[in-house]
Amino acid sequence: MTPVADAPLRVVIAEDAALFREGLVRLLSERGHRVCAAVADGQALLDAVAAHRPDVAVVDVRMPPTRTDEGLRAALELRRDHPGTGVLVLSQYVETRYAARLLEGNAAGVGYLLKDRVADVAEFAEALARVAAGGTALDPEVVGQLLGASRNADDLAALTPREREVLALMGEGRSNAGIADALVVTTGVVEKHVASIFGKLRLPPAEGDNRRVLAVLRYLRS
Amino acid sequence: MARTGQVIRTTTPPQRGRRPGGGATAAARAALRAPFTRRARLELLFCLAAIPLGFCLFLVPYLIAGPALALALLAPRFDSTWVAAVATVPAVVLLVVLATRIARRLGAVHRRLAARLLGERVAAPPPRRRGRGLAGWLGAGLGDGPGWRAAAYQLLKLPLAVAEAYAAFLWVAGVANLSYPFWWGLFRNHPPGVTLDPVPAALPFPGRGFPVATFGGTFAALAVGAAMVLAAPWVTGAVVSADRRLLRRLLGPGALAQRVRDLEQTRALAVDDAAAKLRQVERDLHDGAQIRLATMAMQLGMAREKLDGEGDPLEVRQARELVDEAHRAAKDALAELRDLVRGIHPPVLDNGLADALATLAAGSGIPVELTCDLPRRPTPAIETIAYFCAAELLANAAKHSGASRVTVRAAERDGELWLAVGDDGAGGADPAGGSGLAGLAQRVRTVDGRLEIASPPGGPTMVTAVLPLRA
Repeated sequence: MTPVADAPLRVVIAEDAALFREGLVRLLSERGHRVCAAVADGQALLDAVAAHRPDVAVVDVRMPPTRTDEGLRAALELRRDHPGTGVLVLSQYVETRYAARLLEGNAAGVGYLLKDRVADVAEFAEALARVAAGGTALDPEVVGQLLGASRNADDLAALTPREREVLALMGEGRSNAGIADALVVTTGVVEKHVASIFGKLRLPPAEGDNRRVLAVLRYLRS
Repeated sequence: MARTGQVIRTTTPPQRGRRPGGGATAAARAALRAPFTRRARLELLFCLAAIPLGFCLFLVPYLIAGPALALALLAPRFDSTWVAAVATVPAVVLLVVLATRIARRLGAVHRRLAARLLGERVAAPPPRRRGRGLAGWLGAGLGDGPGWRAAAYQLLKLPLAVAEAYAAFLWVAGVANLSYPFWWGLFRNHPPGVTLDPVPAALPFPGRGFPVATFGGTFAALAVGAAMVLAAPWVTGAVVSADRRLLRRLLGPGALAQRVRDLEQTRALAVDDAAAKLRQVERDLHDGAQIRLATMAMQLGMAREKLDGEGDPLEVRQARELVDEAHRAAKDALAELRDLVRGIHPPVLDNGLADALATLAAGSGIPVELTCDLPRRPTPAIETIAYFCAAELLANAAKHSGASRVTVRAAERDGELWLAVGDDGAGGADPAGGSGLAGLAQRVRTVDGRLEIASPPGGPTMVTAVLPLRA
């Protein structure tokens, strides 16, 4: 299939490894998106976003000059100064603490994925579109870490394996339709699972996918 | 015990008033200049300070004997020698214990003085152990090795202080003698017929001196004074250097404590070195092979999407391009991983240092003449350090020296591994210059080895790493 199904987005990329950056530019261009700028450090990212006002910025965590969490700090700044621009953070390793800082108080228009996920092009494109549209995309690795470290192990044990899958997918930021796609079931079945999970975990019902992500993550972290 | 593993550089201490250049005139000039150097001034000050400090020792017996004597005098009042003994013995023990404390305090003053005036920096000994209870307290005092060594210094300082006082006397009396002709006319302008007593002038040995009765005689005083002032810096220097040796030996931390300190330092170096290395490996993987593999996965993902379509020839061609790129990325990643692996542990080292050095020499940019004479194999850690030393030194020679040929010699000598890398290049290699030599010296130190660098400006350069055979 020719990948032009997505609504075209305006994207800024910040990634210091030229090889990977060029790959991303090609991938997104071929899917019909417009890459306004592809830069290699945090300050250039802030400037490019201020200049182009893109729908979404793809940001690497480790960039010059410090090569530590440069990209993350730039991403947090973008979240504060340009709430209209979605921020998708990419990294070669995921840190639950970084995810927590990104999601602080608001899960709208934020994503945090392993670079490996780019290999599944369609899924990556979907996550990007979700973040651009104000949704959430959290790496399964992060959700897995949160699930593993959760202190509510007793409650979680009461979930069926299927419900745990659904909970993880909710944590990643997927909508009911997205979860249904991933599990190859109908939306109705997913709705039933979600209701059951909220009941078992005694979570207050949350309207909208973003609030649902926050509710799930807050539950897992508490 | 010799300190281990320091970077040894040939440094000559500034000589007393002498500048490069030989000959009798130079020597004479140096002798004339000696009394006016800064070093002479500071050493004189040190000698002057030694006089009160050296005689401090006399206080200790008084401190001990005084109260003991008082108690002994009081004892008859108790009408019993037994009571007297009970009263005096603890007092004497107490004061003996105090002696080490006093000696330590005085030792600290001596150290500070030597550092300030002579530039002789002696590390402080480890602090006294704290004992618990009376027995512990006594034990800590009596078993205080550094304290007793300091007391020994104080004892030996007594004759030294006499010598130092003599050196100071040479200066003061010499200068006084020099002044005779200048004031003679002012004070001895008596009317004819009046006879005045002669004025004594100092001789370079203690005693009465010699009488000066006439203006002509003052020139004898002047001559003696000049001789004394010229001799004074050499006498001062000799006495002070004896004092320095004593200071280092007795007021320092002692051989065992010094060894502990060395080991602490080298352990810290080893830990830092290992951490830095791991960090470097992480960086190399993160920025190299890992990013190539991620890119490769992305390219293959894109290719698969294109092949999933209806077989549009354009898409198939694009897919083939992507697979080509991924293929290249895979090969690059492999090459990078191979380099990385070699940087962690070169597999050829498993065959021994000789083979590894031969491989290294073969890959060098400049011709290398390699000789290896290793009847016994060092332990793997030593082989690894020697290998990386050789690699770094060869790289340095290729990068900085402009040499046309390099010699690498590895041999066992006196139970140690000597690895010498020499080149005929420009020289001037300096551990402080950031050429990686300081890092090498540190790494060598972690196994009690040492790095010797001889690299005069203009060359040639010879860097020798001396390592124990087993770490």
